[in-house]
Amino acid sequence: MKRQRSRWLELLLVVVVLTLVGILVNNLAVNLIRTGLGLSFEWLWQPAGFALSEHTLPYQPGDSTAWALLVSWLNSLRVIACSIVFATVLGVGAGAARRSLNPLLRQLAGLYVGLIRQIPLLLQLLFWYFVAFLGLPSEPLAPIGALIRLSNQGVSILGLTLSVEFSAVLVGLSVFTGAAIAEVVRGGLDSVPRGQWEAFRSLGIGEALGLRRVVLPQALPAILPALSSQYLNLAKNSTLAIAVGYADLYAVSDTTITQTGRAIEGFLILLLSFLALNLLINGGMQLLNRIVVHPAQRT
Amino acid sequence: MSGSRTTYRKRLLQARRHPLQTLLSVVILAVIAWIIWSTGSWLILGADWSVITENLPLFAVGAYPENERWRPLLWLALLCLITAVTLLRPLIASKWRISGLALSWGWLAMLPIGLVLLAGGAGLQAVTSRNWGGLTLTLMLTGFSGLLALPLGILLALGRRSKLALPRHLCRVYIDGLRAVPLIAVLFFGQLLLPLFLPVEIEINRVLRAVLAFALFAAAYVAEDVRGGLQAIPSTQLEAAAALGLGPWQIQRLVLLPQALRVAVPALTNQAIGLLQNTSLMAILGLVELLGISRSLLANPAYIGRHLETYIWLAGLYWLVCTAMALMARQLERQGPSSATSAIPS
Repeated sequence: MKRQRSRWLELLLVVVVLTLVGILVNNLAVNLIRTGLGLSFEWLWQPAGFALSEHTLPYQPGDSTAWALLVSWLNSLRVIACSIVFATVLGVGAGAARRSLNPLLRQLAGLYVGLIRQIPLLLQLLFWYFVAFLGLPSEPLAPIGALIRLSNQGVSILGLTLSVEFSAVLVGLSVFTGAAIAEVVRGGLDSVPRGQWEAFRSLGIGEALGLRRVVLPQALPAILPALSSQYLNLAKNSTLAIAVGYADLYAVSDTTITQTGRAIEGFLILLLSFLALNLLINGGMQLLNRIVVHPAQRT
Repeated sequence: MSGSRTTYRKRLLQARRHPLQTLLSVVILAVIAWIIWSTGSWLILGADWSVITENLPLFAVGAYPENERWRPLLWLALLCLITAVTLLRPLIASKWRISGLALSWGWLAMLPIGLVLLAGGAGLQAVTSRNWGGLTLTLMLTGFSGLLALPLGILLALGRRSKLALPRHLCRVYIDGLRAVPLIAVLFFGQLLLPLFLPVEIEINRVLRAVLAFALFAAAYVAEDVRGGLQAIPSTQLEAAAALGLGPWQIQRLVLLPQALRVAVPALTNQAIGLLQNTSLMAILGLVELLGISRSLLANPAYIGRHLETYIWLAGLYWLVCTAMALMARQLERQGPSSATSAIPS
């Protein structure tokens, strides 16, 4: 009898959900007909008509909108991939520093994590762009010989030139995500029994070596899943690049939608492109998991 | 045997007094000294705080009509008061006893009070939501989105654990779907696409659309936190409740949820703080909340190049509000278990 009741409940739910979806779709259809828009993806193949400040593939305003979107997708991928590398280095460093023997280093890392996590990312991005990078002098600074040149026109490392927008997003995302990764790493390190630390120290193994060869391999199974969710967060947060004028996927989708008025279609394409990014990161993390974590440790 | 033990102990202590550690400390101290020196000299010599001091009302209430400004300011003052009372409660407990229940109701009442004060009606001149702004709007967005997201998230969490296949799958698709997309896309949906899914005759203002988008987004995250709390409760609790003859809804309401929510408080606090910080994204979509009003101020030629002062001021404000929230949540956690045990008659 109880089973039957739950059957009815489920049926009722189906009806409610279907009705709700039906009403929404009907409203959408009515609105699209009323505004004379309809649904169409023709605009994808028409000339985009806007310039992109940076592109890895050849691009001109006369190229199709679809091409512009692909180029912007690659821009997103580029800044996400670079930020992941820097954020990981920063996060592992800061996370390990919070468990270091040096009390000063512990405090400093704690201050970094505490401060960064209490300030909105968007504010931090604006700071890096308007204050840190646009505040540089127009004559290039070269702190380490000719290896790095910094100016408000761009950053050049060993001849590789990066735009100010790219650099600001890169630094902002790395510093913000680095603080989150530091917490993940600290949690992972804490999951390794204290005895393991004392054991390698009493064997006279140095801190860095012991961390790398004794503690981290044991902490990795706990760290990796949380790390991959931080990478996904980073990818999601990269859409804030629009605030500093970096031509990423979201910024270009926004421009396209404003120009063509095709909000529904543009939004769908944005979601699909973003899904592709997510799948790429997930795939990469699974690969990493298979390489780094010993089969016996996998859960 | 004991000889090798002392060697190990010696090495363990040596690791702490390694010359490299001393060098590291010196380097860090030098860096800290340099930071303090350069910040200090900038604060005294370089900074020009006129962009802040001349625009304090704008940061607080935005473009709210000037002779009605006392209304949002009164609300902010009330919020400061109740925050102070909440934080100082343990200290003043000897003089005034304030029950936790009264305090919770006070907090809950803050939202309708704020709405009435800001929107007007009931004798007050009506002010459209287009004129709301600054810290007031930031707090309104956070408060109302949170209030909507919590019950929605709890429902989603319960649905995801349901024995019925259909609600379980529906909730899972909703939660995973929204957690996979960037917030700015959801907010964009709320501002531009949501009206397309509503009947022509229904028009909702931009602030309400933002609140709905935030709530729908945050609910997915709340659901995962609540689910984590539900999973932490041993199944013996369920069996015990069933043995006492409680029905399935009573078990959820009286046994599972109160405990699960208590477990989820730290995670939910982080969500609330995240929500407050995320309201800054509405600056991109054209609302003049705290960050939005600063962007329009910086576009004013009179304050050209005053970015650093403005951003430091904003960072300080966000930091202050977030820290107050975190402190209050910690107090809630500390009081939680003790009030639970005192509820059991001895």
